[in-house]
Amino acid sequence: MAGEQTPKSASPLQLAKAVFWSFLGIRRRAAHESDVTQLKPAQVIIAGLVGAAIFVLSLVLLVKFIVSRAA
Amino acid sequence: MSAVIDSGHAHDEQAHGPYGGIMRWVTTTNHKDIGTLYLWFSFTMFLVGGVLALAIRAELFRPGLQFWHPEFFNQLTTMHGLIMVFGAIMPAFVGFANWQVPMMIGAPDMAFARLNNWSFWMLPVAATLLVGSFFVPGGATAAGWTIYAPLSTQMGPGMDLAIFALHIMGASSIMGSINIITTILNMRAPGMTLIRMPLFVWTWLITAYLLIAVMPVLAGAITMLLTDRHFGTSFFNAAGGGDPVMFQHIFWFFGHPEVYIMILPGFGIISQVIPAFSRKPLFGYSSMVYATASIAVLSFIVWAHHMFTVGMPTAGILFFMYATVLIAVPTGVKVFNWLTTMWRGSMSFETPMLFAVGFIFVFTMGGFTGLILAIMPIDIQLQDTYYVVAHFHYVLVAGSLFSLFAGFYFWVPKWTGRMYDEKLGKWHFWLSMIFFNVTFFPMHFLGLAGMPRRIPDYALQFAGFNEIASIGAFGFGLSQILFLWIALKVTVLGQGERAGQRPWDGADTLEWTHLPSPAPYHSFHEQPVLG
Repeated sequence: MAGEQTPKSASPLQLAKAVFWSFLGIRRRAAHESDVTQLKPAQVIIAGLVGAAIFVLSLVLLVKFIVSRAA
Repeated sequence: MSAVIDSGHAHDEQAHGPYGGIMRWVTTTNHKDIGTLYLWFSFTMFLVGGVLALAIRAELFRPGLQFWHPEFFNQLTTMHGLIMVFGAIMPAFVGFANWQVPMMIGAPDMAFARLNNWSFWMLPVAATLLVGSFFVPGGATAAGWTIYAPLSTQMGPGMDLAIFALHIMGASSIMGSINIITTILNMRAPGMTLIRMPLFVWTWLITAYLLIAVMPVLAGAITMLLTDRHFGTSFFNAAGGGDPVMFQHIFWFFGHPEVYIMILPGFGIISQVIPAFSRKPLFGYSSMVYATASIAVLSFIVWAHHMFTVGMPTAGILFFMYATVLIAVPTGVKVFNWLTTMWRGSMSFETPMLFAVGFIFVFTMGGFTGLILAIMPIDIQLQDTYYVVAHFHYVLVAGSLFSLFAGFYFWVPKWTGRMYDEKLGKWHFWLSMIFFNVTFFPMHFLGLAGMPRRIPDYALQFAGFNEIASIGAFGFGLSQILFLWIALKVTVLGQGERAGQRPWDGADTLEWTHLPSPAPYHSFHEQPVLG
């Protein structure tokens, strides 16, 4: 990897924010730059999977709510 | 593209030139040679698939059966799809990755040079199996490119050849992806941090992960198919306790990410071309990276929108419908960023830019029809009609193919040291754009009127639009012969003005700023120093 600098560890909130914005597909450049220097790939992948699971679960809950109202 | 041999470089202490003759291509481990091989292979397959398409459109020019038996017609539609997806579009993008990724990140070659050679040389074998299957008893597979069971479990030996061909192409794709990921993650020049990587490299990095994730899924599905056909298993046979619908789920769990595999590198090419010809940096670079990652993740949770009519609980239908509609958000972000990049840019419209702008215009239409199809009540009406055919050709021809053309015209001066024929290039664009729309736009109307896809004959009321579509298809096909001539002229015949190191003044990635045109056979022996 090209980045030799030792990354500062990111707070869980920063990780969650990065993943949230990535799902929307929008990110400020400054925030993106700090993401890349501070977040470790393994953290991002795990947070991304958790984010995907939360996304799927919330969709499932929404669907269940709608279906139960219709019944 | 073969004009890249730089014999002067052979005298370089650390470099050696290529073998002469055919052995150069058989034994090559050079990323540029292998990129060239991929591109010529994919263009050949594009022409083969195109001929099949014209055979389809010739039959559909008039109602009634003119040229082909219905069984053979089904083989034509199936093989057209398989050849275009696995033989033309996917290898073409790998060709671009081979040529461009090392040059854009300042690496001397791909990480696994011999694996790279093998990845390519498996493809002609697979293509021979696939195309050769027309000549076995019963002909080629006719189950549609989706090879749904139980149709595919009942086909003749042509199906087995297709299964083996897909296995080989899948293995080739996986090896290619491992190579691309390793190259990008390990061989970037010092200073080329992830956030400075060109968008084309980013999109390929994400695409390579997608490929590694889903090609084994396809391999699993077709292996189960193979054992159902020959070894007495019943994965997809209801009589033996299996489930044919399971095949569809597995296939589309591969198939939907596959759609993005075929478009994300195209997004990458467009994201290089638009800023270069707008003479502005890409608007929202980080958004583009995030949107690509987002599309990749979401592509795994929408597969069953291909199966709304198959039968699913209401909750399942709603889930896949919502998820599919939401995937339009990151895609919309991308289109917005391209438009904003052009906004107040100092734009010029050479052929690559024409194809890029054409891409945005026509691909967006394909995206919108995708949204329409994502709405389940509409999809129930339009499933398996020409509306779907129109939709995915807007995405794959106007999307993937136009982005490939944009990339070719953009980078061919770097590859060959020559400028392509600009006048002919513009002719190629306008003819492709017009005939593409003449071919596929009427298919929306045919689909809305209820014409089913994959049929050799149709009711009389569909005759008018089919006639127009067939004329457009032949025009589109002939326009690609013009492209062949343009490509031959600049690559093989070496005609055209000499290209400077940076013929596009707005292009600022490493291959333009650090390498001469044509790029030497071995580039970046010494790592470039980036400020």
